[in-house]
Amino acid sequence: MILHVNPASGVPLYLQIQSQVKQAVSAGALKPGDALPSVRKLAADLRINPNTVARAYLDLDRDGVLRSVPGGGTFVADGQPGLLKAERLRRLRPHARQVAVEGTQLRLTADEILKLVQEELDSLGEPR
Amino acid sequence: MNAAEGASFNDQAIWTEGLKKSYKGLHAVNGLDLRVPRGAVYGFLGRNGAGKTTTIRTLLGLARATAGAARVLGMDIDRHRLAILERTAFVGEHKILYDNFTALDMVRFTSAFYPQWSHEMVERCARQLEVPMRQRFAKLSKGNRAKVWLLLALAQNAELLILDEPTTGLDPVANDAFLKLLVEDHAAHSRTVFFSSHNLAEIEHVADWVGILDRGRMLLEARLEDIREHFRLVIAAGRGLPAAVSEHIAAVAQSGEFTRYVVTRDAEAFASRLRQQGAAVTEVSPLSLREVFLELLRKEQEESHVPVEMLA
Repeated sequence: MILHVNPASGVPLYLQIQSQVKQAVSAGALKPGDALPSVRKLAADLRINPNTVARAYLDLDRDGVLRSVPGGGTFVADGQPGLLKAERLRRLRPHARQVAVEGTQLRLTADEILKLVQEELDSLGEPR
Repeated sequence: MNAAEGASFNDQAIWTEGLKKSYKGLHAVNGLDLRVPRGAVYGFLGRNGAGKTTTIRTLLGLARATAGAARVLGMDIDRHRLAILERTAFVGEHKILYDNFTALDMVRFTSAFYPQWSHEMVERCARQLEVPMRQRFAKLSKGNRAKVWLLLALAQNAELLILDEPTTGLDPVANDAFLKLLVEDHAAHSRTVFFSSHNLAEIEHVADWVGILDRGRMLLEARLEDIREHFRLVIAAGRGLPAAVSEHIAAVAQSGEFTRYVVTRDAEAFASRLRQQGAAVTEVSPLSLREVFLELLRKEQEESHVPVEMLA
């Protein structure tokens, strides 16, 4: 797996690592059960602080992307088929933000906005 | 993880408060508050003459503080000088050793003083940094002298590693090998590393904390990931805009209609407030460490600046 970080980009390094791992998993380049380099190895390869790599792995573990076995390494988790939940939420967020912003500008209350979204969901006939 | 906020000096590998060191009326270190969390890799930055070397010399008891308090590994620098030196490895600005000694001689000589000495580290350093172990020191290039010093420091296996411009003179390949070695070592032992450097790119890679020193005082001390995540350059055009440094504004520079701000938190909210005052906000963008450094120190350039470090 090839990860690359740019320390001068203004994006926190742990987020750069996270998003690259997530993309690799989403794209199928990393498959469930694949091993990731150890914190030490990845930190040394990228010449970055080990705490940064540890934080990225911790968050990925929490998001269900990776699975850490105490003393036994870090692996890609056996996730749902398709995109990971966190990734799907990430993609929807800009739309949700737009609804929130425009709804507020139209002076609708939070309840009214939520009700509208609920009506749209209901009209799809999908279970919640 | 490290939390400098509200932590006592026992949680800090290095802690100073109001530290001062004056030479003949020149204030080389002028009320310095330094907080280096245990286990951090801390980049100590500043222009030439900002007081970096004097600070380091004072911490190690090589110079006596004029005023203020300082603790290294929880120990008062005046009362526990020897204990501090025993538990701290140090690479100084001037990489001088005995001319007739080889690196191997120095290893034999130095290792006797340190119970924690790591021969494995000596071998690893020698291999990865390509240190000429059998050449007399007098014959070594500047870069190779720096390598010998780094080897001797890393092999001490100390709790705290203080490095004053450790990579000066190293070529890019050796520099890269050194950074790899430092990161591997830090991952394995999580010792605290405190190092000064002019190479902002290398600090930006390996450090997790930075402190920017100017005229003997701390201008900014922050987690590097906080700088990446929260620090923003905000440029606005308009009249009567705020022009003072405040809690979340680290630097302000005005020229004509335009005002540049380094905002340390909630930059979007700050930009909204400027817009409400009728300003046109032309930019809100992240800053590299180099840009933060330049923005903070640029406005200071016009005023006089005495390089007191030379007097140390």
